Amino acid sequence: MEETQTITESRYLRERLATLEETQRATLNILEDFDEEKAKLQRLQQATMNLLEDFDEERGNFQRVQKATLNLLEDMNEERVKLGDTQNALMNILEDVEVERVKAEQARALMEAVNRELEAFSYSVSHDLRAPLRAISGFAQAVVEDYAPRLDDEGKRFLGLIQDNAHRMGQLIDDLLTFSRLGRQQIVETQIDLGLLAQSVFEELVAQAPKRRIELKVQPAPLARGDKAMVRQVLVNLLSNAIKFTRPRAEAIIEFGYVQESGQGAYYVKDNGVGFDMQYAAKLFGVFQRLHSVSEFEGTGVGLAIVFRIITRHGGRLWARGAVDKGAMFFFTLPEGEAS
Amino acid sequence: MRNTRDHDEAIAGGRVEVVLVEDNPNDAELILRVLRKHNVANQVVLLKDGVEALDYFFPPDGPLPGAANATLKIILLDLKLPKVDGIEVLRRIKADERTRSVPVVVLTSSTEQRDLKNAYDLGANSYVAKPIKFDEFAKAVADMGLYWLVLNKLPDH
Amino acid sequence: MNEEKVDIVIVEDDPNDAELITRVFRKHNMANRVVVLKDGEEALSFFFGSRANDRPKVVLLDLKLPKVNGIEVLQRLKSEERTKDVPVVVLTSSAESQDIKDAYKYGVNSYVTKPIRFEDFANAVTELRFYWLLLNKPNEGQGADLTQRTRG
Repeated sequence: MEETQTITESRYLRERLATLEETQRATLNILEDFDEEKAKLQRLQQATMNLLEDFDEERGNFQRVQKATLNLLEDMNEERVKLGDTQNALMNILEDVEVERVKAEQARALMEAVNRELEAFSYSVSHDLRAPLRAISGFAQAVVEDYAPRLDDEGKRFLGLIQDNAHRMGQLIDDLLTFSRLGRQQIVETQIDLGLLAQSVFEELVAQAPKRRIELKVQPAPLARGDKAMVRQVLVNLLSNAIKFTRPRAEAIIEFGYVQESGQGAYYVKDNGVGFDMQYAAKLFGVFQRLHSVSEFEGTGVGLAIVFRIITRHGGRLWARGAVDKGAMFFFTLPEGEAS
Repeated sequence: MRNTRDHDEAIAGGRVEVVLVEDNPNDAELILRVLRKHNVANQVVLLKDGVEALDYFFPPDGPLPGAANATLKIILLDLKLPKVDGIEVLRRIKADERTRSVPVVVLTSSTEQRDLKNAYDLGANSYVAKPIKFDEFAKAVADMGLYWLVLNKLPDH
Repeated sequence: MNEEKVDIVIVEDDPNDAELITRVFRKHNMANRVVVLKDGEEALSFFFGSRANDRPKVVLLDLKLPKVNGIEVLQRLKSEERTKDVPVVVLTSSAESQDIKDAYKYGVNSYVTKPIRFEDFANAVTELRFYWLLLNKPNEGQGADLTQRTRG
């Protein structure tokens, strides 16, 4: 009996011991695991500590960067303020420029309007002034045609005078209008070969005086810069004057060229005509100023005034030299053209 | 299909002043000579029938060299043309905004009432019967040239 | 009522110009019947009023006319069957682009600007006379119409 109890007790004890050993083993396992975990934790802690150290460094860096940035921002601000000031100044200037521009634009528009009005005025003046002239010439001609048998020489002469004067008045109106238009016209600049132009103008003019012996010599002359139509008018007026005032000569010799006069290059038109008295030279270029009477040489006295105006508008100079019965020379300067 | 050297020159130069639509080569030559001798026309284009005329003024493709040509001052148009007759050409020219302000002078041997009426009704500017005698013909052409190329005024384009 | 055939109609308000033009047309042929109308209204009543006339060989038409201006007269003449084939030549002092454009737009036969100088003016009118009275062939067939008008 005791044996059974003892066997049972020892079995119980053995079972208990086994359980205890299992538990012990389990506990040891747990402790091992725990040790591992603890080691892991320590490692983690260490890593965190490292991170924190690094972080501190970074934070230090960051703070330095922050400070640098703040400095930059301050500088930038200063610059921005300066820029703002500059901008304001610029805006002010632009405003002023704009105001000036608007003023200039208004002035230009006004001038254009005035020019247009003047042009329209001139146009109607020209037509209205000239219309009666046509009637005067026309009816004088009608009288000559229809009443010729009933007119004596004196009558025919009077009618001729009426027609001549009507013609002259028409010419005057034309010249005055040209003269007034010249002051307003835009200059359209091109390169001009004056020698060629003089030759072509001369040929046209001389065709109207086929019976005379007139010679033109064209000397080399540099290119000029100017408004071709206006410069052409200059040559027309100067050359037709030369042709006119050489009429008493058996052979008219006219020359166009280029010469150095008192340190400046100038174009010239020279003729061997009746010339003029130098003491009246100052009057040559005035409007309606003439140095010869109409009975000697026809003309309105506006031709040279037109030349003067054109040359002046081109920034050039115009002057003349002559002597009674020894011909005349008209000089003028123009802006240089490009070298050919 | 362009026919005369003048035409090619004109196309190249662009300054056509006179268009002559004439199928009779003798008349055409005479007219061209007279115009050139009197120096009244710089560029003359010769077209030999109605189709050439319509092709010139209303090309089937592309812009209108003739009509859009700002220098064209006169069209001399014969009525008796092969393929398409002059009346039809006149009708087309006067019906189109772009070409109708160019003066058309009908220059033809016909003096029939019907042709006269049609021509004027369709807006021909003038009708000239070709004189029979050579010297009168030449004089008529010279006078026409002087009138339409010098005295008559055209609108700017 | 004067039923005689009128060859030339001049619509011109300036009496000097009217007379000078008439002289040129009659100088070469005293038989030319010239009628001068001095404003647009007279022109319209001449062509469209009760007065019966053969169509003239040419109408010389100024543009600056009192009452009714030249362009309007031109427009009326060229839009009516009865008058559209009468040659109308505008003879005016205006060289304005717009006037020239308008004239061609309404079917003018020819546009001539009055030269300023008398000699040139006389030459131009002479040339006009020569062209429109001698060279140009007007459409004169009017038999039926004339009968109608004289009845009415």
